[in-house]
Amino acid sequence: MTPVQIKTTQHGRQLDLLHTPVGLRDCVGAEMAQKQTILGRIGDKMRLYGYEQLETPTIEFFDVFSNEVGTTPSRELYKFFDKEGNTLVLRPDFTPSVARVASRYFRGETAPLRFCYRGSAFYNHASDLQGKLRETTQIGAELMNEPSVHADAEMIALLIESLLSTGLQEFRISIGNAEYFRGLCREADLSAEDEAELRDAISRRNYFAAEDLLKSRGYDRSVRDKFLSFADFLENGQELGRLLESAGSERTREALERLISLDGVLREYGVADHVNYDLSLLSKYNYYTGVIFKAYTYGTGEPVAAGGRYDRLLSFFGMNAPAVGAMIAVDPLMEALRRQKIEVSVPEEAQTVSYQAGDDASFRTSLRQAASLRAQGKAAVLIPDAQSEQQEGTACRE
Amino acid sequence: MQGITELTIALTKGRLAGRTMELLGRAGYTCEEMADKHSRKLIFRNEEQKLNFFLAKGPDVPTYVEYGAADLGVVGSDVVLEENRRVYEVLDLGFGRCRMCVAGPPEARELLDSGAMLRVATKYPEIARDYFYHRRQQTVELIKLNGSVELGPIVGLSDVIVDIVETGSTLKENGLLVLEDVCDLSARMIVNQVSMQLKARRIREVIGGLREQLEAEGRK
Repeated sequence: MTPVQIKTTQHGRQLDLLHTPVGLRDCVGAEMAQKQTILGRIGDKMRLYGYEQLETPTIEFFDVFSNEVGTTPSRELYKFFDKEGNTLVLRPDFTPSVARVASRYFRGETAPLRFCYRGSAFYNHASDLQGKLRETTQIGAELMNEPSVHADAEMIALLIESLLSTGLQEFRISIGNAEYFRGLCREADLSAEDEAELRDAISRRNYFAAEDLLKSRGYDRSVRDKFLSFADFLENGQELGRLLESAGSERTREALERLISLDGVLREYGVADHVNYDLSLLSKYNYYTGVIFKAYTYGTGEPVAAGGRYDRLLSFFGMNAPAVGAMIAVDPLMEALRRQKIEVSVPEEAQTVSYQAGDDASFRTSLRQAASLRAQGKAAVLIPDAQSEQQEGTACRE
Repeated sequence: MQGITELTIALTKGRLAGRTMELLGRAGYTCEEMADKHSRKLIFRNEEQKLNFFLAKGPDVPTYVEYGAADLGVVGSDVVLEENRRVYEVLDLGFGRCRMCVAGPPEARELLDSGAMLRVATKYPEIARDYFYHRRQQTVELIKLNGSVELGPIVGLSDVIVDIVETGSTLKENGLLVLEDVCDLSARMIVNQVSMQLKARRIREVIGGLREQLEAEGRK
């Protein structure tokens, strides 16, 4: 069905009730059909990799997303109270919820756990006029109890296959390692505040702000160069080897070695062409402890997917397990597909089977016809003949 | 992909655009269409170098870049700070230097230092808020104005102002003086996050070219 265009003059005061609050939107018609197709294809890939779908509540306790967990800043959360006075939030991100589920139901389990999810996430963005959605659709996967580089590679390969399944072709996964930056900070013995400020500057690629900060704190040239030289990103995995020679500590060396072996496994998967390496890639989520990645494509200003390794997040919920995950942001992905003019095939529209209104025999014949179409897996709608014209008329007036 | 990647650059209308084109010209990137003063075009093209340019109001430049309508943008750092968009800030172009200051009549200094409640008029509420709340830890009442901010203290609308100061002559003529520096400002090159990854080679080439040019000029 195609949505009817509203004639604004007909409605008067009631019109105020028809639009949604800023940053929230309806999804109907062809757009909804495309969204279902995309979610279906990505969901299929996750199923084929053995990921079990789960559902978590939209509303969680505030503490699941608290500052210590290292997710979304408190002021960007929708918060409210229950009758006992507990602070509740609308989830801004699924990963802490899935970690909570794993810790609740699978504590003690040592075999790898694979989960996938889909649903809405909520951000209370400060400004109204930045055109950002406050409810976004996310679909993602988490692999727990697997510390190896093969788990990292599986997640990235799954992400690449998922994006390809939607028809997207030109995209790039930028991969970094959260440990590299932390390693450099330890080498330079940076305070927590300086580290946070530097993280902010570097994640904005604002290298002169980073340099000013280091200069003003009295760090010498060699430290500054180290932070600023890793700024340039790398075309491919081979260039990582070059950096190994200048690695100043065990931590940074291990971070680089991890990326080098990851590149090797991604080659085995045959997806290495879709990735590049970027050591200045940092996440706003502080829970990432190793490999982190973001997917970029044309036609949208924000990443269409993001993820990484979070080996300490589960311990917050009492389960000590390494984990890695990826999330696809469906709204920017759909925007990118639309702008790149990539058709997303949707199931064909239902066939119309009409019958003479008031004529029982005609209804019976048509009903049988519709039933047989439905039995063949084809969509069919029954429509009374005499009313079909009238109906179109009323649809416009209502 | 064949040939060179196309780049779109958003420039800030006015003096900044002129200085940017001069610098780009010295680094070997030109646009003849733009030099034509009578042109009514909105987008200017250099077919050979695959560059598109357009002019926008300062505060809109980070918006164009954030959404990827432009790959690169040149804008004052005051605007970058005020708009706080998700863009990469990659290069200090060195021109358009000025300062963001707290200014007011001489008697306002005492009020400012006392930590009392102040009224602050400004075109830059985000920068002013950040300065007073997070750096001075002082509660203030912010009043957003859209121009001639100096009027604020003169007509008694506000105690002080937060505004850009270049030479300070406008302030002096109106009996105001700089009370405190907030930060230094200059023209910045900003980059869309996605373009930075997908058009990496071309963008690095442009940034690298400009950086070399700036360094060479700096040595003179």
